Amino acid sequence: MVRTHDRDTSSQMDAMQNDVVVDVRGITKRFAGHTAVRELSLAVPRGAVYGLLGPNGAGKTTTIRMIMDIIAPDEGSVHLFGSSQTGRDLSERIGYLPEERGLYRKMRVLDLLVFLAEAKGVERKKAKHDAQAWLERLGLSDWAQQKVDQLSKGMQQKVQFISTLLHGPDLVILDEPFSGFDPVNTQLMKDVVLELARAGTTVLFSTHIMEQAEKLCDSVCIIARGEKVLDGRLADVKRTHGGEHVIVAVEQGATSVDSVFGDPSLVAKADNYGQYAELELAQGADPQHVLERVLAAGARVTRFEIAEPTLHKIFIDLVGAEAGTARAEGDADA
Amino acid sequence: MRKIWVVIRREFLEKVRTKWFIISTVMGPLLMIGFVAISIFIGEGGAVRRAITVVDLGSAEFGEQLTRMLNAPEQWSVGRLRIGEEELERVTDSLTRVVGREELDGYLIVTDEAVESGQLEYRGSNVSSFTDMEALQRMLQQGVLIARLDRVGVDPRLVSEAQIPVRMRTVNIRDGRETDESAESVFILAYAMWLALYVAILLYGLQVMGSVVEEKTTRVVEVLISSLKPFQLLAGKVIGVGAVGLFQLLIWGLAGWVIIMQRDVVLETFGVDTTTAQAIPLPDVSIATAIIFLAYFVLGYFLYAAMFAAVAAMSNSEAEARQAQTPVVMLFVIPSMLMIGVLQQPGGSMALAFSLIPFTAPIAMPVRWAGTAVPLHELAASIGFLVAALCLVTWVAARIYRVGILMYGKRPGLKELARWVRAG
Repeated sequence: MVRTHDRDTSSQMDAMQNDVVVDVRGITKRFAGHTAVRELSLAVPRGAVYGLLGPNGAGKTTTIRMIMDIIAPDEGSVHLFGSSQTGRDLSERIGYLPEERGLYRKMRVLDLLVFLAEAKGVERKKAKHDAQAWLERLGLSDWAQQKVDQLSKGMQQKVQFISTLLHGPDLVILDEPFSGFDPVNTQLMKDVVLELARAGTTVLFSTHIMEQAEKLCDSVCIIARGEKVLDGRLADVKRTHGGEHVIVAVEQGATSVDSVFGDPSLVAKADNYGQYAELELAQGADPQHVLERVLAAGARVTRFEIAEPTLHKIFIDLVGAEAGTARAEGDADA
Repeated sequence: MRKIWVVIRREFLEKVRTKWFIISTVMGPLLMIGFVAISIFIGEGGAVRRAITVVDLGSAEFGEQLTRMLNAPEQWSVGRLRIGEEELERVTDSLTRVVGREELDGYLIVTDEAVESGQLEYRGSNVSSFTDMEALQRMLQQGVLIARLDRVGVDPRLVSEAQIPVRMRTVNIRDGRETDESAESVFILAYAMWLALYVAILLYGLQVMGSVVEEKTTRVVEVLISSLKPFQLLAGKVIGVGAVGLFQLLIWGLAGWVIIMQRDVVLETFGVDTTTAQAIPLPDVSIATAIIFLAYFVLGYFLYAAMFAAVAAMSNSEAEARQAQTPVVMLFVIPSMLMIGVLQQPGGSMALAFSLIPFTAPIAMPVRWAGTAVPLHELAASIGFLVAALCLVTWVAARIYRVGILMYGKRPGLKELARWVRAG
């Protein structure tokens, strides 16, 4: 651990002031061939829904595993709930859903849920009671005595989700929680996550799908190639990145607007998605002036919106080029 | 500790509930009964009917006497065909065809000279049967002897009286005291221990491997490792499966005891004469022997279970684990096959060496113990080495396990493994 004294003290003070639940300080993890995570720091405040965003292979899973103390960082430290105990010691307060899902296939659903809760330190009787309540809630009570491999894929996903939340954790860490879920289950899980957040549970989840993060998160941390690109409250991120945005849609075939989009005095950056274009306006440019110019170019406008930049756009702007090349490092994440 | 207990209980209950456990628990005693019944069958000389013809070329009573004698055992039916020398070829040809049709097992050619020369010829389809040929040989020897003595005027009755077979009773001396054990019962006990330890250690060691591979392939392990220390998981698993093993051995032991106690009832249902059963020497299992057996089962099981767990942790699938297990299985199986030397000479130097080497001691020492009086300092040394090896192997295995369970992809080489072990 290489760290100057005053930086340490100040971040500790921050932790106390903001009531930080997950406090990651300068963690680095190297594997045989490469560095998976480099000098990463992040802080998840109590009650936040925090998104850890990044392309595949960016080091999200490695980071989460270090937070959970499944693997130890080569440098840096992780503090949970402001204590020096590891994620394993605090497993009763943490719900963890790994990226690679898995259940004992031959165990009965109820026995499995009770076992996983007991392994976290929950008392047997309570675990049994809570497991039945959760099965009831997700419509699986008829399956409680069935073996896991007799359940459909969707039902197994629900059981896995229950096992993460059964013990009423204060902190929920979900690694790519919605990957592999069908749309119905995805919606169900989103509802559950939001409900948890409303009840004051801190949620940290990783994803590479920005639309999900945009809908759920109040804070984000974007990483690429194992390094932090930016972090902060979603509203702040949007304000500081991307400037003023305009979404314009014109009737098909109006290529005449291309000259408007290409005018550097008006538009700093244009992303034409075909159906519509997202424009980042140049410093001091007026959206009304853009509309005038588009109309003057002879195009029929079907949509004109002054918008915040989407998280997706910020993400692409920041890591765009890297996103494609990061795949090679994906091994470490698996 | 509480978390280890949670893992132990899951492992125990899930294993005990499997069909495999129920079937093998029931099959064990049934196999024991079958084994006993078969050995009694063989002991009776095989209740197989044999039809034999004596082709008598002689002029004297020898052929007739021999026929009477061969007819004595219940299940043999022996006829006699008296022919002249010139008919021999024709008769044997047709008898060979009868044997070919399986209406006859064989025929014995008896000549006058046989009494002098002791040369007789038997042709049949059962010449490969060791028991048949031994019985035939024994009776012919006696027949020739009687005929020879008869010639010099000795009464045949006198001869059979003189021929009462000698029976030697053997008594095992252990620690300077006579015991009730006979040579056979000592051998049976040693053999039974060898078999039980061999099967149990291998079987349950492989169960641990299967269990670790299952957690790895289903990826359950990552959830577990987020709440349990790898060592807690490993210890709970090994102890849990070991408890299943002890439980099964206990059931088998009790079943075996009941079978031996009630052997008359068991044998009657199999239609075996109970008087022959009384002749079967029964091993006398002392408390000390039982403790030695269980102690070595537990130590041996832990030693091999730790190695199997490490093998499983470095494999990605069951098929891969089966490949990677070979060195460990060989380490166990090859010396076990050589263990016959320990059985035959429990006091020999090979037995001593095997009972001191930690990897062979779990089987060799109990087998020696059953076969002979083992000096206490040798027992202490054997257990000492075994416990030391167990600590070392468990330490290495736990380190490989800790890294391996979260690694997917290429199986590590020796160099990579060494790195895993060194990694703090």
